[in-house]
Amino acid sequence: MAGCSSIAKNTTAGGKSSCSHSGLQADLYQRGVLTVATDKPAYPPWFENNNPANGKGYESAVAYAVASQLGFKRSQVRWTYEPFNDSYAPGPKKFDFDINEVSVTPQRAQAVSFSISYYADQQALVALKGTPIVTKHTPADLKGYVFGDQVGTTSLAFINASIQPTHTPKVFETLNDAKQALQTHQIAALVADTPTAQYISSSEIPHSVMVGQFPSTGAHFGLLFHKGDPLVTCVNKALTTLTSNGTLHKLAEKYLQIYLSVPVIKP
Amino acid sequence: MSRRRAVALSAASTIIVLAALAALFWAAPGSPQVRHTFFSPHDMWQALLGNPRKGYYSVGSALWLNIRMFVCAEVLILIFALVLAVVRQSTGPVMFPLRALATVYVDLFRGVPLILVIFAIGFGLPALSLTFVSTQSAAVYGVAALVLSYSAYVCEVYRAGLNSVHQSQVAAARSLGLSQWTALRHVLLPQAIRTIIPPLLNDFISLQKDTALVGILGAIEANKAAEIYSDTVFNYSSYTVAAILFLILTIPLARFTDHLIARDRRRRLAGVLP
Repeated sequence: MAGCSSIAKNTTAGGKSSCSHSGLQADLYQRGVLTVATDKPAYPPWFENNNPANGKGYESAVAYAVASQLGFKRSQVRWTYEPFNDSYAPGPKKFDFDINEVSVTPQRAQAVSFSISYYADQQALVALKGTPIVTKHTPADLKGYVFGDQVGTTSLAFINASIQPTHTPKVFETLNDAKQALQTHQIAALVADTPTAQYISSSEIPHSVMVGQFPSTGAHFGLLFHKGDPLVTCVNKALTTLTSNGTLHKLAEKYLQIYLSVPVIKP
Repeated sequence: MSRRRAVALSAASTIIVLAALAALFWAAPGSPQVRHTFFSPHDMWQALLGNPRKGYYSVGSALWLNIRMFVCAEVLILIFALVLAVVRQSTGPVMFPLRALATVYVDLFRGVPLILVIFAIGFGLPALSLTFVSTQSAAVYGVAALVLSYSAYVCEVYRAGLNSVHQSQVAAARSLGLSQWTALRHVLLPQAIRTIIPPLLNDFISLQKDTALVGILGAIEANKAAEIYSDTVFNYSSYTVAAILFLILTIPLARFTDHLIARDRRRRLAGVLP
């Protein structure tokens, strides 16, 4: 509804009447505290030192920025562990929102509610230096390689829909397993979102290189809430503010280094 | 109490308990959500068919990988476990090193959880960078790990069978002048194996389910395909499909095992049973 964002009272069906700090207490998992969930281990560059509470890392910083917009002090934010596979289970959630590089899709939105985007992601390739894929990656070449990715990411759909390889890709439980598979030559390249790929190739796997990133497909990450959570309206307002005042952009520059030029290759 | 009344009473109480459980499930506040998340017909069908471009594979097709894995594994297990059992049952000082090795082997692989064995083989062997050993597919490593682990259990089942053959059979065979090896092959083993077919089939049924663990190596088997669907669409109905498929595989085998047990019992106790 046009023009509603400037009105304090939001009277659309299912909307919140007030997003003031006191007005949203009733919708919280625990009064007075903003409970934010993420998975373990919490990988860089989304978090640092596997400690979401230190405020470093893109997702940690975004969570604290949203909390601050909603009127929570840093000490009033509590972090909790939710494995990815459990985050969309039916029934009441044990958190207010989950921040875990979750891509928003219409099918997923039937089981949970998502906020608006806090990051538009692109897929990228990581490979070992000196392997064929580093130099030969035209769309026709790409079809011949064995790719690997992590379960639950949208990388697999991207590989199958856009790259269309002849060999079935390998799907690993955790990013660590996928990295291990790359190092032992079981896969030719790992497909992950650009910041993750950048971090892996620059810091985590020696002798690896980011071959390039693929053009955007419109995919983006959203915060995950239980279905129909009234808190989503307030968080969306917070995210809109953070986008328009440049905070999200500054945090992306600080933690995701996305403005280093990364070659774009075609799938 | 007459027989008919007893049957009627037990049937009625069974139906009442089952109906109460079903009512509890249906009336629970979260029931519609649970029914949609675990038993959604649309999602079960989608998961069964698969759609790689949308990011998930067919659970039904993935089951074929499980079937190939457990058929290969079972053949190798039956052979390797028999070798282990015969070694462990050997007497005499010449066989001592092998006997000790077999005992250590069985202790080790019965003690370490299967998932850790799969992990060690599936990620460890490729890391060694040996020419042939390190370049196999995930399913091959999975079968290797299953064979190593299950052979330890099945070896003990064989040994139980060998020990259950009455000592008089061994004595009779030796007194006829048969060597230890011939007595084993023609007298002991046939009798032993007849006895242990039900526990062997039991282990086979267990093996069929344990192939699901090979998914951690990246192989797309049925359980892994179910997980991929579930994580992509945020619905657990794919796991229900995988469970149903495994039941379709194992239940006929379980009934066949019961039939074999009953037939064997009838033959052994031919004069005793009414």
